[in-house]
Amino acid sequence: MALHDQSARARGGESLAARVDRFRTINAWWIQIACYVLSILLLIGVWQALGHSFGVLFVPFTDTMGRLWELLESGPLLPALWVSGELYLVILAFDIIIGVTLGLLFARVALVSAAFEPYAYILYATPTISLVPFVSVLLGFEFWPRVLVGVLISIFPVLIGVAEGARSIPRQHLDVAAIFGSNERQLWRDVIIPYVLPFAMSGIKQSVALAMAGTLVAEFFLNPDGIAAVLLQGTTVVDSGWVLAVTVFISAIAVALVGVGELVERYVIRWRRSAVG
Amino acid sequence: MATVSSRIAAPAAEGPTWLERWLTRERLAPLVTGLVILAIWQIGVSATLPDFVARPSGILLAIPSTIASEEFWLDVVRTLGSITEGVAIGSAAGILIGVAMGRVREINWFLTPYIRALYALPLIALVPIVILWVGYQPAARLVIVVISTFLPVAVSTADGTRAIAKDYLDVGQMFGARTHNVWFGIALPAALPFITAGIELGLARGITNAIAVEVLASVNGMGMSVFTKSNELNEDASLVYVLCLAIFAVGVRAAMSRFRRWLTPWYRG
Repeated sequence: MALHDQSARARGGESLAARVDRFRTINAWWIQIACYVLSILLLIGVWQALGHSFGVLFVPFTDTMGRLWELLESGPLLPALWVSGELYLVILAFDIIIGVTLGLLFARVALVSAAFEPYAYILYATPTISLVPFVSVLLGFEFWPRVLVGVLISIFPVLIGVAEGARSIPRQHLDVAAIFGSNERQLWRDVIIPYVLPFAMSGIKQSVALAMAGTLVAEFFLNPDGIAAVLLQGTTVVDSGWVLAVTVFISAIAVALVGVGELVERYVIRWRRSAVG
Repeated sequence: MATVSSRIAAPAAEGPTWLERWLTRERLAPLVTGLVILAIWQIGVSATLPDFVARPSGILLAIPSTIASEEFWLDVVRTLGSITEGVAIGSAAGILIGVAMGRVREINWFLTPYIRALYALPLIALVPIVILWVGYQPAARLVIVVISTFLPVAVSTADGTRAIAKDYLDVGQMFGARTHNVWFGIALPAALPFITAGIELGLARGITNAIAVEVLASVNGMGMSVFTKSNELNEDASLVYVLCLAIFAVGVRAAMSRFRRWLTPWYRG
């Protein structure tokens, strides 16, 4: 290897490895785009090619997209999306409102945190799905029990993020505010909220994704409804095109929602930097 | 003699007893809330709801008969066995792919679309298609647990192996490390805290998703029994299962974080 390097340099060139390395560095951006495009094309290509060899269990990419178009245009997908979307937004709103409130309480009121935090963690670790029968016996199968199940699944990132953020406010910040005679309102506006915001946002970003899982779980297990019901419908009639189409649709929505969550987080952090300095 | 006895008696008279020392406000508060919650649950359910609805006393009485049944232990073995197997497979695959993604930029870019899409997708949405492909079988549960663990382990391993201190790599190069030495001798140990955190997350998701698959695919196990017992109006037994699942989930988390501290004593995260 070393000998080869030397002779290559003697010839005024570089070793192959060095040239490859240089190419990778100079064209990094193009290679990155090429990798993304190639991976998606490969997925579609393999899907299309294999699609014909498993009979009804796996249909080609083009058939799946055709099916998706049918389901969207005249099928049950769009009405189901409204049902699920409403549930999702209510769950997410509760996650944020209750999560932020409880998180701040846990962080700022020692007795509340000592009394309730162990139970919050046990509830967090317990698979929420196993509580569904109990919830349905107590509260039924309607909208609000669904919201409860969804919130139980997705609230914890916000709650834990806010509690951790509010706990880590440096003592000095509070002292300085006290020295300058901040009243309670100013203390919250100038110190606590700007400090906790990034922690809250990173929790909310995770809850944005989890609330979708919460919505689906609530719809799957408490009398199928919305998108989950459409998915199950395809499974019962063993229509793989149907199930694949709905799964692709859900994953497109999930990627979009996570993207929006990341954008909002970035925006909030930039706002905070310009506001607080 | 008098001095000796007074020396022995003195601390007991002044200092708090062990009970007082143990029963601090931090320990008393959760105990009191726990008891209050149980009391409200017991009294509220007994006063207003029919007999089959679970209440603390009923759950307590149902524990011996539930745990004594052979069916219970079969369920435990099925569910926990499947979770263990799935987490082992998913972690191994996740570590391998994760190291490759962390060390080779092009592999990372190539796999990013898949990993991001699957990471954003609630895995419960994959259950119907998995059921369609492998049938209403225990294998469906295994597949979902493997995917649940693979994703967080791959992502965190990639993050951990990408961010190695340059000093380590320089020293490795000086000693003539080959690619596989760098990957498994330097990058992998350096990324251990990330990897264990990924496995911890994967385990938590694996437990939840295993229960979900059992119910959706009618696969026998603890999650399925929670639902069947409840449908048989045996809510108390159903909640005994939930209690066991909760103990398992909390115990596994505690054991994992202890394991992580033992494995990577240099890392405080």
